[in-house]
Amino acid sequence: MRLFWEFFRFEIRFRLKSISTYVYFAIWFFFSFFCIASENFGPIAAGNGKVLLNGPFANVYNDTFACFFGLIVIAAIFGTSILRDFQRDTTQIVFTKPITKFAYLGGRWAGSFVTTVCIFSGLILGEMAGTLRPADPTRLAPTHLWWYFQPFLSIVIVQIFLTGTLFFTVAALTRRIFIVYLQGAALFMLYLMGMAAFSTTRAVHLFWPGVFDPIGVILNDSITRYWTVVEKNSQLYSWSLQPAGGVFVYNRLLWIGVGLVCLGLLGRFFPMSLEALTARSSRRRARQALAEEDDAQPVRSRAVARIPAVHQAFGSSTSIAQFKSLTRLRILNVVRDIPFWVLCVLLACFALVNGHFAGRVEGIDVWPVTYLMLQSVEGNAMLFLFIVATFYAGELIWRERDTRFEGIHDALPMAEATDWLSKLTALSLVELAMLTVAGLCGIVMQTVAGYFHYELLQYFEELYLITFSQVLIFVLFALFVQTIVTNKFIGHAIVVGAFLAQILLFNYGWENTLYLFGAIPPYTYSDMNGYGHFVKPLFWATVYWVSISAFLGVLSIGLARRGAETSLKARLHLLRQNAVHIAPAAAVFLLLAIGSGSWFYYNTHVLNEYLNNKQRREIQADYEKSFKRYEHLPQPKVLEVDSEIDLLPESRSFTGTGHYLLENKTSGPIGEIHITNQQQSVSAVAFDRPFHVQSRSPRDLYVIYALDKPLAPGETINMTFKVSKLSRGFNDGHERAELAYNGTFIDAGFFPTIGYDQGVEITDPRRRREEHLGELELLPARGDKEASLVNLFSPQADWIHYRTTVSTSGDQIALSPGYLVKDWKANGRHYFTYDMGEVEMADFFAYISGAYEVTRDTYQGAQGPIAIEIYHLPSHKFDVQDMIDSSKAGLAFYEKAFSPFQFRQFRIIEFPRYRGFAQSFPNTVPYSESIGFIERMQKPTDIDFTYFVTAHELAHQWWGHQLIGGRVAGSNMMSETLAEYSALMTMRHKYGDDNMHKFLKYELDRYLRGRGTESRREEALGQVQQEAYVWYQKGGQIMYALSDYIGEDKLNLALKNFLMQYRYANAGTSQSTPYPDTRQLIAELRAQTPENLHYFIDDSFENIVLYDNRIESAKVTPTADHKYKVTMVVESHKMKSDGSGNETPMKVNDLVDIGVFTGSKDEEKPLYLQKQWVHDGKQTFEVVVDKMPSRAGIDPLNKLIDRNGDDNETDVSK
Amino acid sequence: MALTIAGLSKTYPNGVKALQDISLTIGNHMFGLLGPNGAGKSTLMRTIATLQAPDTGSIHLDGIDVLAKKAEVRQILGYLPQEFGVYPKVSALDMLHHLAVMKGITNKKERSEIVDALLQQTNLWESRKKSLGTYSGGMKQRFGIAQALLGKPKLIIVDEPTAGLDPAERNRFLNLLSSIGREVIVILSTHIVDDVRELCPRMAIIAKGKVLLEGAPSEALSALDGKIWSKVVANDEELKALESEMQVISTHLIAGQHEVRIYSDSNPGDGFKPVESGLEDVYFLSLARSAKN
Repeated sequence: MRLFWEFFRFEIRFRLKSISTYVYFAIWFFFSFFCIASENFGPIAAGNGKVLLNGPFANVYNDTFACFFGLIVIAAIFGTSILRDFQRDTTQIVFTKPITKFAYLGGRWAGSFVTTVCIFSGLILGEMAGTLRPADPTRLAPTHLWWYFQPFLSIVIVQIFLTGTLFFTVAALTRRIFIVYLQGAALFMLYLMGMAAFSTTRAVHLFWPGVFDPIGVILNDSITRYWTVVEKNSQLYSWSLQPAGGVFVYNRLLWIGVGLVCLGLLGRFFPMSLEALTARSSRRRARQALAEEDDAQPVRSRAVARIPAVHQAFGSSTSIAQFKSLTRLRILNVVRDIPFWVLCVLLACFALVNGHFAGRVEGIDVWPVTYLMLQSVEGNAMLFLFIVATFYAGELIWRERDTRFEGIHDALPMAEATDWLSKLTALSLVELAMLTVAGLCGIVMQTVAGYFHYELLQYFEELYLITFSQVLIFVLFALFVQTIVTNKFIGHAIVVGAFLAQILLFNYGWENTLYLFGAIPPYTYSDMNGYGHFVKPLFWATVYWVSISAFLGVLSIGLARRGAETSLKARLHLLRQNAVHIAPAAAVFLLLAIGSGSWFYYNTHVLNEYLNNKQRREIQADYEKSFKRYEHLPQPKVLEVDSEIDLLPESRSFTGTGHYLLENKTSGPIGEIHITNQQQSVSAVAFDRPFHVQSRSPRDLYVIYALDKPLAPGETINMTFKVSKLSRGFNDGHERAELAYNGTFIDAGFFPTIGYDQGVEITDPRRRREEHLGELELLPARGDKEASLVNLFSPQADWIHYRTTVSTSGDQIALSPGYLVKDWKANGRHYFTYDMGEVEMADFFAYISGAYEVTRDTYQGAQGPIAIEIYHLPSHKFDVQDMIDSSKAGLAFYEKAFSPFQFRQFRIIEFPRYRGFAQSFPNTVPYSESIGFIERMQKPTDIDFTYFVTAHELAHQWWGHQLIGGRVAGSNMMSETLAEYSALMTMRHKYGDDNMHKFLKYELDRYLRGRGTESRREEALGQVQQEAYVWYQKGGQIMYALSDYIGEDKLNLALKNFLMQYRYANAGTSQSTPYPDTRQLIAELRAQTPENLHYFIDDSFENIVLYDNRIESAKVTPTADHKYKVTMVVESHKMKSDGSGNETPMKVNDLVDIGVFTGSKDEEKPLYLQKQWVHDGKQTFEVVVDKMPSRAGIDPLNKLIDRNGDDNETDVSK
Repeated sequence: MALTIAGLSKTYPNGVKALQDISLTIGNHMFGLLGPNGAGKSTLMRTIATLQAPDTGSIHLDGIDVLAKKAEVRQILGYLPQEFGVYPKVSALDMLHHLAVMKGITNKKERSEIVDALLQQTNLWESRKKSLGTYSGGMKQRFGIAQALLGKPKLIIVDEPTAGLDPAERNRFLNLLSSIGREVIVILSTHIVDDVRELCPRMAIIAKGKVLLEGAPSEALSALDGKIWSKVVANDEELKALESEMQVISTHLIAGQHEVRIYSDSNPGDGFKPVESGLEDVYFLSLARSAKN
């Protein structure tokens, strides 16, 4: 024991003397400190604005994160503690003394453990220090020590124990530092890879994955995915077996056990004899053999043999030969290094694994088109390319000095440039080879997926032109840094630091490509557009940064170490002497940098206004601060829109004129017309009566026109205006997604908006606080008199007449809502006139243009034929028929169940994936290429997302274009939830209930996760505000459950009754039929629901209610008549939650599914599935079935909202 | 050809005066540079080998200003540094081919011939395909010699070349050098007096950055003729007494007793016998004198 303490003390003393110990501590301290002291640092601060920065969730999250990324620190301490003796050959001294295994290993291990724990305590201390100076005091709780220490004990210390022991064991048993680091890297990578693979399985049941997760990402997810903000701010991971089945406890016990087993193995297998420990390495063995061989050579003549005469030539051809020979040698230097191959193998594994899942986008199977494949194989490859650049730049630059070959090398007759360029070339070629491997993996995985449309040009452009340029910039930078610094490792630190600094700077609003080293503006490849308008900014930014880094490269040549005098001062002196030689190249690159930089600046700052994200928010905030007071000012409403729009896709521009017919529908005179011009696209506003401009805000964002003679009630006025958006040059990011060479899609946002536009307001509470805005004003309560007369979607209008003439380039088709009345070509341009005629529509229109192939079909509707047209990219034929089928099925269902379709056409139009949604305009649905068009159904059980989205958008022609709610709480669900329900039913009719349950399982998961990330407060479905997860996912779930309770027919009838009563509300000028709200909808639903189920209507629409159903046991006993009696003990609880997640128990007296199944888990077929009345607490059910059952449960298909759907079903035991 | 070094001085940032006003002229022969560790030999050789710049002074190789026209010098230079390493994972054959290319031997056949010949000459032929990392110290040194002789170097600078060689290899190397040294300038630095005696028509002794003596070894020897005396003393006290009285050049242990050599114009008597002077006496005497000054 005395010896143990000796080793222990030695280890501690050694660490105390080592500077790295303090550096590691400082890293954690400052990481933790800035997580609280800075607004934009760390995942918690950047995430949901209501989660406490020093709350339990933040601590758990940061601890997990620190342990994962701290693997390298743990490896450095545990691994080296045991290896030190072997590296410094002190083994001779240590192992010739009488020491015990326990003292030696134990002392070293314990010393390392204590040191590491102290280092990681920087997390706690940093956090405490941070709370003294928080960035956002509203997100800080009073210091709660247990919140710090509980996660530290159960996460950090356990992780240190586990991973430290693993490293220690491997180090002690192999005694090779290389293997220890390899082990660290492999753990890190394998875990990331496992995570990537796991996430694509979309598992919803996370118990076992959570238990087996050694790092904690899945574990955290399994515990907290459905936690609301209140829970995140108050709950620690429980050390008890409840709730969630004790996943945390089991996980911790499992991995502590693994650590103990490791220690046991080490104690068993560590040899305590010097001989066994220092068995010679293969290198050393080879050296000895060779020396013996050398000694054994026969004696040779001492006479000197003639050395053949040779010719030496020096000139450019020799320089090239030298360059080639050097380059070859340097490539060998890299490729004969084992870590390089480890990186390559990992890169290929990553690329293949990710490539395998390239055709899965958010759980939907799609064709792995090249941009998706490239995204998959390239994303992680970048990390490897940067690691190789960082590491081998150091190796190559320091190669001669590390091997002490510089005396010979530096006196060789070669130019510094030859030498330096060979290093650059070698590293570049290696990187190119790695990129090629990534690309080939992509092609292989496309082939495996059966996608044979290889777009090699796109591979080339993406990998070699864009990515390689970035890598090259980074390589040049790393080589330069290594040339300047006096120590390779300082060089690595600077390179990595510079890389991380970019990310930080960006988060702090330093977003300019011109000063973020090596940055290029964001870009998106689209099958419709290729690299499109991103080519120019990409090209110039690349030229700019390549030139700057090449300039650094030239400086590196001038500063290259050669000879004995390597101080920077001496080299700078030499640089001045040699300036003449390198000046021309330096000047060329400098001029290129200045030229391209100036051009970039001219485009992004002069031709276009440069605004960073913060400045953009400030404009929004100023608008709200200045003009919110006009929100309720009476304004006339739009009755008619007539426009002539010229789309100029080749220059990503448009111009046009518009006309509004406005009417004063209020009871008082209107003297001022307020115009919001959000996109700064409106000019020349004029009225057909005398007026003048009363005020104009900066940027013309809000202009007030005073009418000389006020508009009397019922009076109309004509308004004309010009709209235009001309693209000039290019931007530094923030390119308008609406404007594209192929696939222009602009909407009425570019038109003048009458009055104050709430849509401009900042919604993120964190950003609102930053701009000193109060809380976002919510929609008024249902029944609000004024708001009930306002259209939810377009407050400036009720229903309008619409007509437009839209033109585009000669080879494109331009579209807008309305029936085509004229189509002609003139001046090489293509013109179309669309007219809605007498049909009134919502004030919701768009202009779209592209080079489309059109697939047409017709559906015989209730009121005549309906044209179905799909406008798509010629190569995107995959889903066209699916879209047509869905449209037909939807039309059939909606016309039968609800009301006739109000239009004679339904058009789906593809637009580039710069934006990823589909949107329903009257008879016109622009549909992003990223959410349809490339879907791939492989099994009948797959979810047909295209079919679903198409049906959803079609349903909006009813729910959104026939029925619109007032601008009050809840109205959004009357379009989105009802469209969701309609689409669910359309899909159910085709794919059946099983497929729906699968789909709904994910929907439920998304709802529960959605409420966990809510940054304001969750609202009940019937009073939903902005919570998309409520109106989509919860809404769909509830409507599906309701149809299950009362029958689809009854539910459809309720909706039909509601629709027929309120469609086209507030049409006309009388303002006597206000828009409906959810109270009327709920009343219709209630009318079709039996009295004893009214509780479900209340729970679903007026409250936030969560079930906790579970089955405790299920036993089967054979009956006398050869049947099977299943006895189930179930337990049911129900909670009501407030908007923040505070729960109160409710009384259960509910009708819930009880089911008995045959077949294995996830494949079960019902033998019995009936609704039964269930009460609070435990309850027993007995069911007799004909066949031998395997599974049984309460609400087994998860129709109700239950955060732990996993325990609703169990195996039946005998 | 002739190498003219004039007024070369170098002071390191830490204050060490590595070279102090060194002037030497070296013709087409082997030139021995003798001196103790830290005398400035390596600094001088690195400076001639274009790897270091002096603070003042000049070096000319015939018409070439060595300090300014480094590239030209490097083309005709063969250099073996005192201490050097190798790329561990490259074979000697591969590396010599690479270095031959670097030295402008662009003809592939010629390159193979010279590389093979040098491998034979340095007795590395059998191990030519083994990676350099597995070479022993002596083998590495031989590899260093082979690379220094690649091409047709007109200026060969070898810094402590015989260190680490066994006696047979040392002889072989000295033979080789002397066979080449007739047509080119060879500068050989060493602290082994025998190397110089066996090979060099001319030599210089330097210490503390200064040239103490320059000339032909024979001249230096003849200057000492009859002035070196030797005596065997029994114990350290006696030795100490002697040291305080006379100019002791060196002592050797012979069977546990000290053989003392002293410098004296006349017979010091007291048991001293006249002995033949050796180059070692020149060396030690020069050092001793410089230490006194």
